[in-house]
Amino acid sequence: MSIYLTEEQELIGKNAQGFAKENLDPIVVELDHTGNYPADVVKKMAEQDFMGLFLPAEFGGAEAGYVSFVEVIENLSRSCPAAASIVVNHSLAVYAIQRWGTAAQKKEYLPSLASGKTLGAFAIFENGPTPGVGPDALMAVKKAEGWVLNGTKTYVRNAGKADVYVVLACSDPAAGAKALTAFIVSSKAAGLTVGEPKETMGLKGCPVADLNFENVMLAETAVLGAVTEGPELVAETLAVAAIAEAAQTVGIGQAAVEHAAAYSKSRVQFGRPIATLQAIQTLLAETATDCHMARLGIRYAAELLDNGEPFQVEAAMVKQFLARLHSKMLLDTVQVEGGFGYSEFMPLPRLFRDIAGTTLLDAPADFPDKTIAAALLA
Amino acid sequence: MPKLLACYKWTLNEQDIKINPADLSLDSSRAKGKISDFDRNAIEEASLIVEKQGGTVDALSYGTPAVKQSLKDALSRGPNKVYWVGDASAENADAFVTANVLAAAIRKIGSYDFIFCGEGSTDMFYQQTGPRLAQLLGLPCISYVEKLEIEGDVLKATRKLGDCLEQVNVKAPAVVSVLSEINKPRIPTLKQVLGAAKKPNEEIKVSDLGLTPAQLSPKAVRKGARGFVMNRKNVIYKESDASANVAKLAASLAAEGLR
Repeated sequence: MSIYLTEEQELIGKNAQGFAKENLDPIVVELDHTGNYPADVVKKMAEQDFMGLFLPAEFGGAEAGYVSFVEVIENLSRSCPAAASIVVNHSLAVYAIQRWGTAAQKKEYLPSLASGKTLGAFAIFENGPTPGVGPDALMAVKKAEGWVLNGTKTYVRNAGKADVYVVLACSDPAAGAKALTAFIVSSKAAGLTVGEPKETMGLKGCPVADLNFENVMLAETAVLGAVTEGPELVAETLAVAAIAEAAQTVGIGQAAVEHAAAYSKSRVQFGRPIATLQAIQTLLAETATDCHMARLGIRYAAELLDNGEPFQVEAAMVKQFLARLHSKMLLDTVQVEGGFGYSEFMPLPRLFRDIAGTTLLDAPADFPDKTIAAALLA
Repeated sequence: MPKLLACYKWTLNEQDIKINPADLSLDSSRAKGKISDFDRNAIEEASLIVEKQGGTVDALSYGTPAVKQSLKDALSRGPNKVYWVGDASAENADAFVTANVLAAAIRKIGSYDFIFCGEGSTDMFYQQTGPRLAQLLGLPCISYVEKLEIEGDVLKATRKLGDCLEQVNVKAPAVVSVLSEINKPRIPTLKQVLGAAKKPNEEIKVSDLGLTPAQLSPKAVRKGARGFVMNRKNVIYKESDASANVAKLAASLAAEGLR
């Protein structure tokens, strides 16, 4: 474990920040208002190699590793967390396919996902309490010629824009969530439809919708990993999501504290900039510290992933740490900016909505605690 | 096909330099390095030409030992190879010293068809390195270039002067210094950044350049640098008659020389 970034990792982060300032800053307000999918920006992100960032070169990836991945995600999130969300969700599908895919599946899907020619999405959530349990749970039934899928995945990010979905379906009704099987599903599969776009509190521009399956026929080759391997695939992929989304949270917190710091230097009250007041300095210092400590934890978890070591506990820890602190980061920075900061023409309300999404999504609230406690109590 | 060289300076990122409000001294202790802005344009232009019509582009930098941190950044922007001179003498170097070192290094490396420089550096902006380098190498210098193309051994440049544009053709070899308008420097992709590690770099020692102590002594010596802070005047005109306030404001601005 190196506590410092390598020269390349630092350069990749710096370039991602430059890219975000040039390409994301100009669109972020409009994106927040319209929620329109930023196709042009996604294309540009692909040109920067962000869509195949950690994939091996043999599949067209940049082989930049997961520390670089979190550097890119944090820096994109400093400007536009929604654009980062599109990359993150795409990357979860990419991760699952490269980790559990057969040689043929990797060859078929990864090169076009890496180049950005196709977009990926990872679909796990359902309306029932856990996947495989509710009345519209996605069920996979084995037939002689393959599998038939019926049901609904909800809250699927990148839905409607993705070409390739990694979908979790229940393959044994009696076993429920314990019998999840992962499938690779093309957006063109007959019987697959995308529901109405769901309007979300934040991260607008990253599409969210249901996926409805009606007698979707899949070949045996669509199964990702072993039929019984779904729960393991979900746990590991969501741990990757936890790291990536923590990087988003830190990016947003960093953007907020930098904005608040600049504001405090220019805002004059009582004859002097409010930055000179200790109460303001405390709010800024605590937020900057929270970001810094979280960033170190995120890099550490990402480096474990790079080294092929177990990383799920450390991923849960950054998720848990930021679940406690994310709203404080924004409350404190809005507090610095006072009534102005609360206004919609300032960026903090948008960042407030966005940061909520980064800690709520992709993992049940008790996921981090359960994982960490299990490791402690084993 | 052209053989090009792009010279660049590794400067401190001015956005990282803090001004100490107590004595206006500059604190650069946490400032990171960057390739000087116009020099990025120089590297970009040389790289674009080579990517479009073939040839080769190398890069060359003279700086303090910290210049070593710039190599991957420079190589990720297109050059095939980077030569670097990392020496403590660069700490106080002016354009005279810089041009002496660069010229000696170029003589050692070999000849190029065209040598690209930025018009001025982000930190000092002397705008002398290109012309001085040309003088030392006995080459023509085309400055203020906002557009150029290379056909055969001729470089056709558009120079942006005060109130006109000038079209100049120059035959290789020559030195060209470019303005920021000439292009938009790329943001290197991940593959370009990671590919930079596989490209060669070569250190050149100042001691191997055969320069005299006089050639390494700056003519212009910076005695100090202080931040400039514009303080608010905190003047409020409180007349009930708005036109009287305007008249007072106008008189105040005129008194400060604004007409």
